Amino acid sequence: MTRLTSLPPAQAQRLAALECPNFETTPWVTGPALSRRRVAIVSSAGLVVRGENPFRGRDPDYRAIPVDTKPEELLVSHISINFDRTGFQEDCNVVFPLDRLNELGADGVIGSVAQTHYSFMGATDPVQMEPHARELAGRLKHDQVDAVILSPV
Amino acid sequence: MSALGHYLEEEGIATVAISLIRPQTENTKPPRALWVPFELGRPFGPPNDPAFQKRVILTALRLLERDSGPVIIEDFPDDDPRAQPDPAWHPPFVPAAAADSSAETLAAQLEREIPLLLGAHDRWLARHGRTTIGLSGLSMADYGRYVADWVREKAPPSPRDGFSAPLMLRFSVDDLKAYYLEAGAAGTGKPSSLQLGDWFWNETAAGAAIYALRKTCLASQDERLKLIAGNFMVPAARVRGTV
Repeated sequence: MTRLTSLPPAQAQRLAALECPNFETTPWVTGPALSRRRVAIVSSAGLVVRGENPFRGRDPDYRAIPVDTKPEELLVSHISINFDRTGFQEDCNVVFPLDRLNELGADGVIGSVAQTHYSFMGATDPVQMEPHARELAGRLKHDQVDAVILSPV
Repeated sequence: MSALGHYLEEEGIATVAISLIRPQTENTKPPRALWVPFELGRPFGPPNDPAFQKRVILTALRLLERDSGPVIIEDFPDDDPRAQPDPAWHPPFVPAAAADSSAETLAAQLEREIPLLLGAHDRWLARHGRTTIGLSGLSMADYGRYVADWVREKAPPSPRDGFSAPLMLRFSVDDLKAYYLEAGAAGTGKPSSLQLGDWFWNETAAGAAIYALRKTCLASQDERLKLIAGNFMVPAARVRGTV
């Protein structure tokens, strides 16, 4: 588990002390009930669809993952090796819960599932990601998405 | 991750983040986050446990219906049951390491060991129908040989246009690890990540070869190679001297 006490002390210290952006405001967007929301996954696992260029180094951009992407087409190209890959190897829903989201959509718990989902490479400086994230917001709105679940690794 | 939430929310899209490192989330103050007590790399918990995963995602999504923010940081109450070791799991057979740890011996052992795991990896493919090998774009024989050539200190050129040799080394090592860890999990039982990691790093010729490769690359004059060797081959928790 990722209680910091379960990690080697140097790694725990580095993770806890990792510099995070210090935002002056906290935006807050409300919306309809979950059963009327259109939901997308945005991962920071460095996911790519097989055949696309993997993330290199700390690329700040993102990759699109269409909703009909098969599990065998997904690869993790995150630069860090300090997180478990074996869970994803066995079941990609551990990182990218598209099957679960589709089930929630089919059951009517959420309104619908976005046509496209996305992944960044999370070790990138958030300041470098910002313009790409803002551009992504436009794409999400174009797909009528009004709720995003952010999945780290 | 929380920063991405901030930017998207500023643009008018509601977000909820899964949090794996609670102090980071507390510092970034996202609109909504669900902290989960799972290991890094498993934000939705155990593999092949749809009911558990669905509870995680639904607990997170329900935070979107709260009107008490910002900031909401909730804790998921349950641990990942797959974090526990499975005594019923046994790794596939690999020969014991030779006492001689010269570069040539390590490389030759690696090249002999890779095909020994083919049967186990075929069982993995039959059971799961997929593999996560593929970053290098090379065949198993080729990424295995590429890593072995690096172990032999040949500094082989990149086999792929547009990809530098150090980057191809990184992707080839990633593919080699994926091949072993998938083969390692192919038998009966449900091993924890720690069990698989202990086997790979302590018992296989591949693990020994990557340790040796890290050491020789760190002595290189090529700064990019040193960076990759130092940070992106052996997990920090496995660098000898820390465990």
